[in-house]
Amino acid sequence: MGKKHRLNKASWYLLFSGFLSILLSGTILIGQRVASARENNAEKTQASPLHPGFPFLDEDGVNVLVSGKPVSTMNTCGECHDTAFIADHSYHVSVGLNDLSSPGTTVTERPWDVSPGVFGSWNSIEYRYLSPQGDSRIDLTTVDWIRLYGLRHVGGGPAMYGSNGELLSDLPYNPDSLETNTLNPETGVLERWNWKESGVVEMNCFLCHTPNPNNDARAAALQAGAFQWANTATLLGSTIVSPQGDTYHWNPDAFLENQEIDPTVLKIQDPTNQNCGLCHGLIHDDVEDPLVTLGCSPERWSTITTGQIISPQKMADSGMNLANKETLDRSWDVHAERLLNCVDCHYSINNPLYYQESEITKPDHLLFDPRRVEIGDYLEKPLHQFARGNSAQSNLAPELEYTMRTCESCHAVDVTHAWLPYLDSHLEALSCESCHIPQLYSSANMVHDWTVLLPDGSPRKECRGTEGDETTMSTLLVGYQPVLIPSPDKDGVMKLAPHNLITTWFWIYGDPPRPVPLQSLQEAYYENGEYHPGIILRFDQNGDGELTKDEMVIDTKAKEEFIRDRLILQGLSNPRISAEIQPYSVNHDVASADWALDDCTACHGEDSRITQPIMLASAAPGEVLPGFVSGTERTLTGEIAVDKDGAVYYYPGRATENLYVFGHTSLAWLDWIGLGLFVAVLMGVITHGGLRFYFASRREDQEKATERVYMYGSYERLWHWLQTAAIVLLLLTGLVIHRPDPFSFIDFRKTVLVHNIIAGILAVNAFLALFYHLASGEIKQYIPKPKGFFDRTITQAIYYLQGIFKGEHHPYEKTPDKKLNPLQQVTYFGLLNVLLPLQGITGILMWGVQRWPSLANALGGLPFLAPIHTILAWLFATFIVLHVYLTTTGTTAVSSLEAMITGWEELEK
Amino acid sequence: MNASKFGWLFGIVLVGGLIIIPLVIFLPGSDQAISSDPWENVPLRIPHTDHTDIIQGPFDTGADVTRACLECHEDAAQEVMGTAHWTWESQPYQLEDRDSTVTVGKKNAINNFCIGIQGNWPGCTSCHAGYGWEDANYDFSQEENVDCLVCHDNTGTYVKGYAGQPVEGVDLLEVARSVAEPTRENCGSCHFNGGGGNAVKHGDLDETLYFPPSNVDIHMGEHDFMCTDCHQTENHNITGRSISVSLDNTNQIYCTDCHDEDLHEDDRINSHVDSVACQSCHIPNAATRDATKMYWDWSTAGSDEIEESLHTYLKIKGSFVYEANFTPVYRWYNGEVAERYLLGDQINPENIVSINLPGGNIGDTSARIFPFKVHLAKQPYDTVNNILLQPKTYGEGGFWTEFNWDLALQLGSDITGMDYSGEYGFTETEMYWPTTHMVTSASEALTCDQCHGPEGRMDWEALGYYGDPIDWGGRFQSNSYQP
Repeated sequence: MGKKHRLNKASWYLLFSGFLSILLSGTILIGQRVASARENNAEKTQASPLHPGFPFLDEDGVNVLVSGKPVSTMNTCGECHDTAFIADHSYHVSVGLNDLSSPGTTVTERPWDVSPGVFGSWNSIEYRYLSPQGDSRIDLTTVDWIRLYGLRHVGGGPAMYGSNGELLSDLPYNPDSLETNTLNPETGVLERWNWKESGVVEMNCFLCHTPNPNNDARAAALQAGAFQWANTATLLGSTIVSPQGDTYHWNPDAFLENQEIDPTVLKIQDPTNQNCGLCHGLIHDDVEDPLVTLGCSPERWSTITTGQIISPQKMADSGMNLANKETLDRSWDVHAERLLNCVDCHYSINNPLYYQESEITKPDHLLFDPRRVEIGDYLEKPLHQFARGNSAQSNLAPELEYTMRTCESCHAVDVTHAWLPYLDSHLEALSCESCHIPQLYSSANMVHDWTVLLPDGSPRKECRGTEGDETTMSTLLVGYQPVLIPSPDKDGVMKLAPHNLITTWFWIYGDPPRPVPLQSLQEAYYENGEYHPGIILRFDQNGDGELTKDEMVIDTKAKEEFIRDRLILQGLSNPRISAEIQPYSVNHDVASADWALDDCTACHGEDSRITQPIMLASAAPGEVLPGFVSGTERTLTGEIAVDKDGAVYYYPGRATENLYVFGHTSLAWLDWIGLGLFVAVLMGVITHGGLRFYFASRREDQEKATERVYMYGSYERLWHWLQTAAIVLLLLTGLVIHRPDPFSFIDFRKTVLVHNIIAGILAVNAFLALFYHLASGEIKQYIPKPKGFFDRTITQAIYYLQGIFKGEHHPYEKTPDKKLNPLQQVTYFGLLNVLLPLQGITGILMWGVQRWPSLANALGGLPFLAPIHTILAWLFATFIVLHVYLTTTGTTAVSSLEAMITGWEELEK
Repeated sequence: MNASKFGWLFGIVLVGGLIIIPLVIFLPGSDQAISSDPWENVPLRIPHTDHTDIIQGPFDTGADVTRACLECHEDAAQEVMGTAHWTWESQPYQLEDRDSTVTVGKKNAINNFCIGIQGNWPGCTSCHAGYGWEDANYDFSQEENVDCLVCHDNTGTYVKGYAGQPVEGVDLLEVARSVAEPTRENCGSCHFNGGGGNAVKHGDLDETLYFPPSNVDIHMGEHDFMCTDCHQTENHNITGRSISVSLDNTNQIYCTDCHDEDLHEDDRINSHVDSVACQSCHIPNAATRDATKMYWDWSTAGSDEIEESLHTYLKIKGSFVYEANFTPVYRWYNGEVAERYLLGDQINPENIVSINLPGGNIGDTSARIFPFKVHLAKQPYDTVNNILLQPKTYGEGGFWTEFNWDLALQLGSDITGMDYSGEYGFTETEMYWPTTHMVTSASEALTCDQCHGPEGRMDWEALGYYGDPIDWGGRFQSNSYQP
């Protein structure tokens, strides 16, 4: 172990020194470029340390200062970097264009999805969808898609090329093509789109590689259809370019004399969190300036879907109305607090700094391969495929799944989790996130109900993690606990991982089905910008003539019928309500150890986090229950059920069936049988004892002559009492482990450890005793003599049923050489040779799940072993009752007990 | 028979032992050995003897009271007279850059607030723990001039005035009968008002500490500390040192006197303590409530043109800038002074004159990054001899009455023995004030990104690192600066 560790360390030195030299040579190389390019401007160049100035070129390769045309990033950046290579190797660019297929054949199995990416895969939150070519009713053409979704697309790919790979602006016009037309929202008719005039959207380097890209201006340009200007618009707000009428004016002052951009004006940099956050979620880098989001209105994508906020700021320092805020002296994201950037984990996968060959392809004899891409080569051809994990919501570029480093790649889990019993078992069943993202403190979306439209044209939404309806400062953010769903890790092992579930209800029509286009939905609800009178008539529950958010839900047949009829009226065939659940993985907003889940009983108890249900919606519109979207690679075999108030829940119970969680999992029927047996025996001995007492009091026994016999040697007594103490303690601690809820005052973790140690004592005691009994020959006392055994047993049984009440003598005399009567012989034989070893073996196997998981699993694993261990424990408990009672059947009630204490027993002569 | 009568007891012990001993051996201990309890180092507060019935008046002067005290506490005056609270002067100390040892103290030092006490005694010595220090001829051997009451008064009515004498109206008998352990008021009456008013000098000591909320001072707010709980005192020798006046680093108080050095749960944080002082993270901002003086321009003093306002301009003193809740300046600091300006030292008026540059640099393994309040001033100097000058401000002929710099500087130089050419100007000087009080709770401490990363508050290169040590390595890491 130590040796391996040293080797690892050495290889890291190698890596670093190797990289340093690469970096150094790269820096010198670039430095030379900078020097030669900018001799007369040496002073200014220093402000931008690495990236040199460069000319802004238009689509024809002419300097924009000369042509006044939009900047072409492909040409401009392509002067040094292989932009064609970059754009070709980026799922951020292609977003599904390269994976177009016929509708319904994607992993999502939605009948209208044509790709696994944003371009062609429906997102129920946004609702609008790229219509498959050939559909009679069109929702979005390529042009409309760019105008609507372009603000979250970096350009290039579908914003540049048609499905056949040709430039969109070169496509021949086809009146039916969804690539050369746009839908007129007024008339619902396709109209020709002038690609020559609009131009196309090139991959936008500025968006990710400059400090303050103007995404709003870019979105506005896209929305306006000024595609070729979109990348130029990204620079608005700087001194480089300013709007001038419908177009833009390049400002020569921002450029140097040689018409290259002044590097002090435009800094080119690695993507910062802010850059990624433009599309991916709420980023707040400032520690001092309080972060504010209101109610359920987080602005950006991952934050909408999961509530994840990437900020180093302490929650207590934020400006948000968080529940128990004063106690939340933790940052939103511990990695952000510790200065990790998005690209530190989601790096370009040929970045020589981060690249590590996967375990699968790496030869066994190498720990580290120092041969890698030269930094100059990397800078020319950086793959814009970024390392990723495998989130439930993302289906694009499956070949890149798990290229990211996992938690364990950086963190020494063994070192930090030494306190956790059964660490391997925990790691086998749980993702790190399950405990380290126990709670999202902000809000996230829960329901998008597109079956109705609110007065502002939006769907009815429900949020989780908020208290109070309105999106204001007074909305209390209570956060939510994500649901744990089995998800594959990089080795394909299904582990529980936290997710948010967003459910969407929506109208579909036709066959193969399509979502009802938003335009048709609007026509169903509105008339001249107002709700249709029939809508008010049916939805206005309080009769005030106004429709509020609460009233806008399809909870009666009449409402559903009415909308359906309104849709049929527009020629939509068979409109009906459908619903789907999209799981969203929660991997960010990781908590440090202090805020991680470390209370054993959170999972090891009746209300376990493992099976904790999650609310899906407060109502199921049209009484339609949602199903899960396909292709998420999650085990979604739990149950979706409606409670008495009509709220819909997901119970992940069935999905976790193959887990046996101590303290949570128990077979109720088995416990009832065990308890029944125990109680029956208890009642039996009470009855028997009562009868004995009754008969004895009516009988006048003459004083019996007794003698004292040395019955039990000191070792036998020690063995017996040690075994007694151990078994009683094992039963008690076992009970706490099995049903921890009534014993919440007892530390679960310590109880497990104590149980294991006492089991060890019992085992050692048992082996020593076995040795003693074998060596001394005492063993034969326990072995029933076959001859006449049944007769003797029956005689003994009859004695217990009859003779004992009459005060008769025991049928078989107890002597030091023959301590056990036949009935005892058979009981102890069973106890010591069957029950005890079996209990020991199952116990050892359960303990060994941590150490030799394959052995335990071969024998059925915990789900099989644990119930056996449980029922045997009940048998032990039952035996103790019987055993203790039978000790009272000696010469006097306590003579046997005394004998086991002192060794000397009073026996009738 | 006897043996077996109690044999069962032996049996119980044996069986119990066989169960318990393996448990003790195999049960893992709690996650971490419990750190030693910091409370163990906090002195117990023993109720002070009630002096009400012991002390009999009448007392006409402070010295009368002292004489009464000395009747029982015979050594007390001698003990006090051995400390800087009385001498206002250090033991002889060898500074690295000087030929001979020097003694420095409030008595003879120059600062960049009121500049110096020489010639201005009666005003300055109202904070001297003694009576009657009016001029250079003060007799430091008079036991009865030791002021017991300024530290031991518990009525809160004892006020010192001219040359440290009790002001008129103080009921000396009442005050003397109240004596007990020093309270926050005793220490605070001088130390919170250093520089002539609340919060002026230190930036980490002001009147909010009389009743501080927990988030201003965790020790005094949350845990109700008195000053002397940390500044533990034996035989009137009060622990504590500050380079604003002291030279050596003895008798110092450290956080680690009570707290474990590696008490952070996070190894990454513990690895900081070799290079970062506790104060740097646990006192994120200085002068959190009351603004402190950051800049003092003497050159504008004496003008009738500028409107007077306590925190911006006073005719007798000049212009000021006050600031509250500011980010301290971080410097390497080993507890000693690297350079101490002493009267008569040559200056370069082109540069900012450092009066007490903290000792230590990145190569000094005993130095840690420490937070300071840096006070800038423009103060008079001799433009011919290039030495800082100490004016006479207080009293006859002083600047505060005559507003005549030349006269004030001449009088001051006569007293301090400086060679004044008659030509003066104003030059910029800086003083370092360690920020060490007003420690906040752990939850308020700085987080990684407040020092590291693009938003960080540290100037790493100025501190001697190659760059942000989170990227470039710390000073004990092989890829970074090697001390």
